[in-house]
Amino acid sequence: MRGRTILGAAIALFAGAVAWGQGATPPDRWWNPDEGRTFPATLDYADATGTLRLLLDNGPMETKGHPFFTALGPNGRACVTCHQPADAMSLSAASVAAQWAKNGAKDPLFAAGDGSNCPSLPQEERASHSLLIDHGLIRIARPWPPKNVTPDFRLEVVRDPSTCNLDPKHGLASSQPHISVFRRPRPVANFKYIEAMGFAYDPKAGMPLPLDPETGKPVSGNLMADGRVPSLTAQMRDAAGTHLAFLKNMDAADIARVLDFERRLYVAQQTDRLGGALDGDGAKGGPRLLQVSAPGRLGSQGTPVWSEFEAWEKAAPAVKAGWTPEVRAFRASVARGARVFREKTFLISDTAGINSPIGFGNPVRNSCVFCHNMSYMGMDVAPGQVDLGTTNKPFADPLAHLPLFRVTCTGRPHPHYGRTILTHDPGYALTTGRCADVGRITLQTLRGLSGRAPYFSNGSAKDLRGVVDYYERRYNIGYTEQEKQDLVNLMRAL
Amino acid sequence: MIRVAILLAAVAANGGAAVRYIGCPVYRDTDNGRKSGCWLVEDEASGVRYDVTAAPTKPDWNHAVLVEGVQSAAAGDPCGGTVLEPARVSVLEEGCTRHMLAAEGYQGRRFALPERNVRPLYEERKRPDRPFADGRFTIPFDYQSRFITYQLSDYYLDATINYALDVQPAGIEVTGFADVRKVEVSGRTIAEPASLARERAELVRNALIMRGIAADRITVRVGRGGAPFVPAAFDGLAAPAARRVDIRIVPELSEARRGTP
Repeated sequence: MRGRTILGAAIALFAGAVAWGQGATPPDRWWNPDEGRTFPATLDYADATGTLRLLLDNGPMETKGHPFFTALGPNGRACVTCHQPADAMSLSAASVAAQWAKNGAKDPLFAAGDGSNCPSLPQEERASHSLLIDHGLIRIARPWPPKNVTPDFRLEVVRDPSTCNLDPKHGLASSQPHISVFRRPRPVANFKYIEAMGFAYDPKAGMPLPLDPETGKPVSGNLMADGRVPSLTAQMRDAAGTHLAFLKNMDAADIARVLDFERRLYVAQQTDRLGGALDGDGAKGGPRLLQVSAPGRLGSQGTPVWSEFEAWEKAAPAVKAGWTPEVRAFRASVARGARVFREKTFLISDTAGINSPIGFGNPVRNSCVFCHNMSYMGMDVAPGQVDLGTTNKPFADPLAHLPLFRVTCTGRPHPHYGRTILTHDPGYALTTGRCADVGRITLQTLRGLSGRAPYFSNGSAKDLRGVVDYYERRYNIGYTEQEKQDLVNLMRAL
Repeated sequence: MIRVAILLAAVAANGGAAVRYIGCPVYRDTDNGRKSGCWLVEDEASGVRYDVTAAPTKPDWNHAVLVEGVQSAAAGDPCGGTVLEPARVSVLEEGCTRHMLAAEGYQGRRFALPERNVRPLYEERKRPDRPFADGRFTIPFDYQSRFITYQLSDYYLDATINYALDVQPAGIEVTGFADVRKVEVSGRTIAEPASLARERAELVRNALIMRGIAADRITVRVGRGGAPFVPAAFDGLAAPAARRVDIRIVPELSEARRGTP
């Protein structure tokens, strides 16, 4: 099945959670702040391709009064507003559209500060929230230039359908200049892996891992699309001050409770409607493996990435004979997809974070696991800021709904683009102020994908097939149709 | 100004002739697994196309490179060029027209993890035996660069930092070097700025501090000439040895210190 039907299917599945108590009315998929639900130890939700499972270590947990689930500021939002359990602790565009249909602008999700294209727009109109409703994008306003940084590039607005970058109050020329970029919320789960430090160095920076200024300790560098904060604690403060409009710092007790919850939570796809149990017949899909495994391991020197599905490849004929044709076909496809992911090499070129400045060469031949190299999670064991081109021209697809900026490098030119770059989101460069970092985005986790379309930091791939197709265009990989479908099936099984 | 012949008269320990030249790299896509591609750079003066794939830093097909290496007859011809091994490549700002060759029957090299690689934090690491000796380390750099090269400089940096962490308290002397001699290579006059020596040393100092070494234990100096503490970091190549940082780590409880009045 082509993934393009996924979005529609997701909306259709909004009827409710699965696996709730028999006979009881399942609670709404959407978690509103301050509901006071119990977060169970195991929580399943139907999604576009099967069932998503969340596991909470030492659960269940009462959410009444818990700061992750409580509206901390005047806009009525809580962390859970944009990190919904049914959406793999992210936020799918389908969920957003459903909330708009249900509540319109009065839903706290559509708060003016970042739930609209710009706070200056008329907030009751749908068009003012189009980037969130249609693309699942939250407005991220970053001060420009960054605090305590002298950038080596200039920023100009080429066009801005959001209106916010040219807005007299919120734009780049305002009294407090900010750049507005629009990004997908990242999943708040599986942090054991996201925070893991496999090596003491960041080869992309040629230096030891960055230090958290609060603790003086090294951090993984894998938080936030633009790496603007180094730790979950700092992320919480950042989010409380921006997304929740909660201007006072969270107190230490609140931070500790949120950290405790986030670090106990695991999410992954558990069943597939075609392939059945993803941990069936010897396979190790689902979140249980994440819960019990050691993080930060390099797949090439240990457990190969996505070898969770190897058992389906090696299953005895007698075992396979018990599978329906649909199950057999899907499982074979997922196992092939894992091999394609690891073994199908292609030429990676002009990609900052890979082809520069490390010394791998430009181009370099490698496969998806070159970057997605962490066992069980497919993240980068090293901090993973890479410019795939999803936000930079000429590689980015036409994205007429997003602002476009012209970056002019005032020091050394960019190693691959030269002195002038057109970008929808300068990414990591908004933190470092370096022209060489324009368009570099921290790699995302690959778990629970079916529950949280669209994909890439700017939501430019509306489904999993869109992700594969983008890579095909960007790197001229030469995937066969079968390989593309196998990769889609692999990703929907994660 | 010192004139350097295109083909140096020096003969390396393995019997091959040493070369130092600037040229535009060409990529040969041998499609033989990850990192299997070949890098070829022709020396315009001699017309010889060298295979520089063995260099830790690989070329960028948009930029000229400074090649330093020794011809290796024993390495065969996996890529369609005279193999330089050992070899060093430094990517220059000078532009080149990108060009890619098909495999044309060449197999390239199957990737093998280089011996000089940093081990993960989750692996047990052997600690130095007591009494702690003075430690001497060298970190090599590419031409005009203060970037810690992957699977070369990072290996030596990691060894330096681990030793410094293991033998604390210790005094640490970090000495930076730059190759400031003006030399002519392939019709260009090249030399590193003197300031690069201190920048390299400061970079190493910062790396030590980031890994937990107290700043007040570290002194930074600029050096000139002399042999590196760890010649093996250069695999016998002479010119790259002028671009380095030497680190001396003197444990306060070392045998050497005890004997010092």
